[in-house]
Amino acid sequence: MAGLLDKRLWVVSGKGGVGKSTVAAALALRSARAGRRTLVCEVNTQERISRFLEHPAAGPEVKLLEENLWAVDVRPQEAMREYGLMVLRFEALYKTVFENRLVRYFLRFIPSLQELVLLGKIMYHLQEKLPDGRWRFDTIVLDAPATGHAISFLSVPQVLVQTVPQGPMSREAQKMRDLLVDPAVTAAVLVALPEEMPVNEALELHAALKDKVHIRTHAAVLNQAIPERFTEADLEALAGHPELHRVAQANHDRASLTVLAGTKLERNLHAPVFNVPRLYLPTFGRDAIEQVMGHLEALVMGDK
Amino acid sequence: MSTTALGPALAKKRVLICVGSGGVGKTTVAATLGLRAAVDGRDSLVCTIDPAKRLANSLGLSALGNAETQVPASALEPLGVTARASLHAMMLDMKQTWDDLITRVAPPDQRERILANRFYQSLSTALAGSQEYIAMEKVWELRRKGEYELVVLDTPPTAHALDFLDAPNRVLDFLDNEAAKWLLAPALKAGKLGMSLFNRSGYVLRALSKFTGTEMLQELSSFMLSLSGMNEGFRERARGVRALLEDASTGFVLVTSPHPERMDEAIHFSTLLKQHRMEVVALVVNRVHPLPTEAMWQDAATLTPTRRAKVEETLRELQVLAEQDGRGIAQLQAACPGIPLIQVPRFGLDVHDITSLWQTGRFLLGDDTF
Repeated sequence: MAGLLDKRLWVVSGKGGVGKSTVAAALALRSARAGRRTLVCEVNTQERISRFLEHPAAGPEVKLLEENLWAVDVRPQEAMREYGLMVLRFEALYKTVFENRLVRYFLRFIPSLQELVLLGKIMYHLQEKLPDGRWRFDTIVLDAPATGHAISFLSVPQVLVQTVPQGPMSREAQKMRDLLVDPAVTAAVLVALPEEMPVNEALELHAALKDKVHIRTHAAVLNQAIPERFTEADLEALAGHPELHRVAQANHDRASLTVLAGTKLERNLHAPVFNVPRLYLPTFGRDAIEQVMGHLEALVMGDK
Repeated sequence: MSTTALGPALAKKRVLICVGSGGVGKTTVAATLGLRAAVDGRDSLVCTIDPAKRLANSLGLSALGNAETQVPASALEPLGVTARASLHAMMLDMKQTWDDLITRVAPPDQRERILANRFYQSLSTALAGSQEYIAMEKVWELRRKGEYELVVLDTPPTAHALDFLDAPNRVLDFLDNEAAKWLLAPALKAGKLGMSLFNRSGYVLRALSKFTGTEMLQELSSFMLSLSGMNEGFRERARGVRALLEDASTGFVLVTSPHPERMDEAIHFSTLLKQHRMEVVALVVNRVHPLPTEAMWQDAATLTPTRRAKVEETLRELQVLAEQDGRGIAQLQAACPGIPLIQVPRFGLDVHDITSLWQTGRFLLGDDTF
C-alpha cells in the first residue's frame, strides 16, 4: 500500500468523540518527522492539537510549533478578512466594506459563505508557494468536523458550483472543488472506535465522501482498539470470582467488538484499517501522541 | 423514590433538553428519561435527531419517521414493568419540519416561491443554528399542542454551543434587523428591489458585489422580500421558542463523558446556559469507569500466575481510567458549583437495547449508585 505521504491534503474525520484530533496530531507529527513541511488545521473549534503536542495554542494565524510543523485554528472572522483582502486588495477598502453593518448583516446570510472562506483559507495554504517555487507546505492535515458537519463542510464548493450564479464566489468554489476531488492531492482518513455507532458513521461518511464530494477514503483508523487477552478457558476458570469475571468478560467482549469492527470497516471501505490500541496513561499529552504515531507508521510511510 | 435531581424533573418539568458534544450518549439519556417518565405515569415523547436508527431499535420501533409513533407495550416486556402512561418517539426530519413551518406561516401565494428559493434551502439546511432552531421550534409546537405531559429533546451534535442557545435570537435578529428595513423599505414602495439595493448604498454594495456577484445580492434581497409577508408569524414563534427555553417548566440535562479532555466543552456549555438564564437540572457524566475495589485485587491474588497477571493488568488499566475520570469529574464539579452531578457507569457493552436503557435509568434516577 502507498503511504499518505504521496498525498498533500489529508482529511481526518469520523463521529464526535472518536479521537479525530488525536489521529490528526499523530499524522501531522509523523509527516513533519519525515521532513515534510506540515500544516495541521483545526476548524473553528476549541484548539486541541497544539495542546496535545504541549505547545501554546496556535490561534487563527499559521504558527510554527516545532521543526517542520505549523498549526492554525481556522476561524470565520479572520478567514473572511483574509479572503476579503484578497478580493478587494486594499485594507482601507476592506474596512469600509466589511466593517459596514449592512454588509456584515448580508454576509451572515449568504449561504455557505462562512464554510467557503474557512475551506478557502485551507486551500489557499495548499497552493501557497515559497519564493524558490517549492510548496510552502508539503502536507496539510485537516482535522475536519464530525461526520454530518464534515459532509456539509466539504460539499460546499460542489453545492456552490451548482447553485450560485456565475461570479467570484462560484469561481473560487470551482477551484477548491478541483483540488478536493483530485485523488493525487486529497485523501480521507476515517476514524472510528470499536463500537457500533462510530463504525456505522464511518461507513456513512465514506459513502457520502465518495458519492457527494468525490473524496477517496485512503484508510480507516480503529482507535482505542482492545487486543485479545482472555481465552474462553480463562473466562470459565473465573466463574467462581463474579467481580473479576465481569471485568474479564467486558474486556473479552470489547476485544471481540474490535475484531468485528475491523472486519466491517475493511469490507465496506475497501481500504486498510489501522488499529491504535487503547492507551492507559495518566495524562494525555505528547507521550500519547507519540505512541499513537507509532501505530500509524505504515499508514503514513507505506509498507515497503 | 428517586434520590437524584432528575426524579423531580421527570415528575414536574414539561420539556427536558439533552445537550452536550457529539458521542457522549445524549440519545441514550434522552430515550431513558422518556422511558422512565412514561413508566412512572406521565405521557411522554422522545424527540431525537440522531440520524441513526439506534433509538428506534432500542424502543422496538422498526422505523422512526417525522411522525410521532407510540412505542408498543411489547417493547417493554423484557423489563417486567408496564408503563402507566404512553411513550411516543419520533425522529426529527429537519428539512420536513422547516417546510411544514413555512407552509404554516407563509401567505399562500408566497409558499411555493419561498420553498423553491435557494436561500431558503440553505437557511433550512446549512445556516449555523438553523437545525438547532427548528428542533426547538418543533418542541415549542408540541408543547403548545399539549398532548404530552413531557417532551424530551435529544439535540443535534452541535459544533458550537452558542449556535444552539443563540438560534432564536438569530432568527429574531434576521427578521428585526434594521439593515433589512433600510434596504427593503424603498424597494417595497417602488416594487423594484434590485435597483434600490445598488442605488442607495453606493460603492459599499458595489464592492460587496465584487465579492459575491451582483446576482447573489439581488436574489437574497428578493428572498427577504418574500419573507417579509410572514415576518409577524415567524417572529411570534421565535419569541415563543425563546420564552420556552427560559421557562421554569423547561430544564436542560447536560450530558458529558468523564474524560478530562472533554471536560472543557461541558464546562463551556454549562457557563453559556447559565448566562442565558436557562436551568441545568443535572450534569450527567456518562460511561464512568468504576475504580476496582480492594476485594478485587485480593481475589486476583488467589488466581494461577498467568491468569493473575492478565486480571491484574486489566485492573491496573481500569484503575488508570477510573483515576482519569475521577480527575475530570472533580474538575467539572468545581467549575459548576450547585449543579447536581449524576454518574452513569460504563456498562460491559454499549447501550442499544431496552434493558440497558433501563439499567442507565436506574443510575440516572439514583436507584443504583456507584
